[in-house]
Amino acid sequence: MIWQLFITFFRIGLFSIGGGYPMLSMIYQEIAVKNQWLSPQEVADMIAISQMTPGPIAINVATFIGYRQAGFWGAFFTTLGVILPSIMLMLLISLFYIRLRSKAWFYAIMTGLRPLVIGLIIAAAWFTAKSAFVGIFGVIVFAVCFILSLKFKTNPILLMLLAAVAGIIAGQI
Amino acid sequence: MTKPNYKTLFLSFFKIGLFTIGGGYAMLPLIQREVVEKQKWMDEETFLDGIAAAQTCPGPIAVNLSVYVGFHIAGWTGMVLAVLGSILPSFLIILLVAMSFSNWSQIKIVQNAFNGLRPAVVALIAVPVIQIAKKSRIKWTGYWLPLAAIILIVFFNVSPIYLIIFTILFSWIQYLYETENPDREGN
Repeated sequence: MIWQLFITFFRIGLFSIGGGYPMLSMIYQEIAVKNQWLSPQEVADMIAISQMTPGPIAINVATFIGYRQAGFWGAFFTTLGVILPSIMLMLLISLFYIRLRSKAWFYAIMTGLRPLVIGLIIAAAWFTAKSAFVGIFGVIVFAVCFILSLKFKTNPILLMLLAAVAGIIAGQI
Repeated sequence: MTKPNYKTLFLSFFKIGLFTIGGGYAMLPLIQREVVEKQKWMDEETFLDGIAAAQTCPGPIAVNLSVYVGFHIAGWTGMVLAVLGSILPSFLIILLVAMSFSNWSQIKIVQNAFNGLRPAVVALIAVPVIQIAKKSRIKWTGYWLPLAAIILIVFFNVSPIYLIIFTILFSWIQYLYETENPDREGN
């Protein structure tokens, strides 16, 4: 069990390109579809919690799932798994980066990956939307938050607080 | 550049990890202020190289940058301390959240709050898409790749791993083809 957790998060760490959001589509697949450690809705809740707590989303999700599945050592090994590829590859890359970045083939691959990152993020948004858009209320909250964030650059924490309050009020009606 | 002592190094990264809410990118300016401006462990140029390398490398960007900075200023021990410092706060806080999760996740008011939070999360995930699309100036013909990726991931459960490997190979072959046929327009 712990080995399975470790290797899953190692894989997630190894293939997470472009930061936290593109990684979420892989987390949905590995966690909610393949291993069914959490339901898609629980993954969405976990992402919400990650947005409100300190640190990288990958670490938050790894720790949470590890603990839920196998207690403290589960959390320890999922977190270790997700950061190990970073440590190994980053040491390599920082040794060679100055030489790599002037190579045209390296630049071509990095530029080639950018459109894929967009696809990965939209897939993550889609998975989250499936458990988030229950009824018209979800769609309204999404639209308002989307506009506030895009046009007014509203602080994400403030946005989350407003959304939580909206949810509580809607629950009372 | 000043020589760091291990305790200050660990505490600096712990503080950064503790006070940055909302993902790894929020940590970058804080790391820069602490490492370059306040402690003067590294000059700005070396640091900016590190950010570029951290964005290239797979994995959480804040962890990547901690590896770079820690190793650069204090070798292996420095790397371990910087990484530990930056992830320990989230690890400990999420541990507390996970331990108490079953106690409060059943409360009606919390469930209602999450009904509001989930669609907000969709918005927070979707907004960077537009910013990245603008920044990377993809031509309309370039949208077949993200579109195919969405369909394959969402409807056919294809792992992003295969898509990443495919894209790397495809970009590389395209590059080879273009360099061998320099008179062609390419693309």
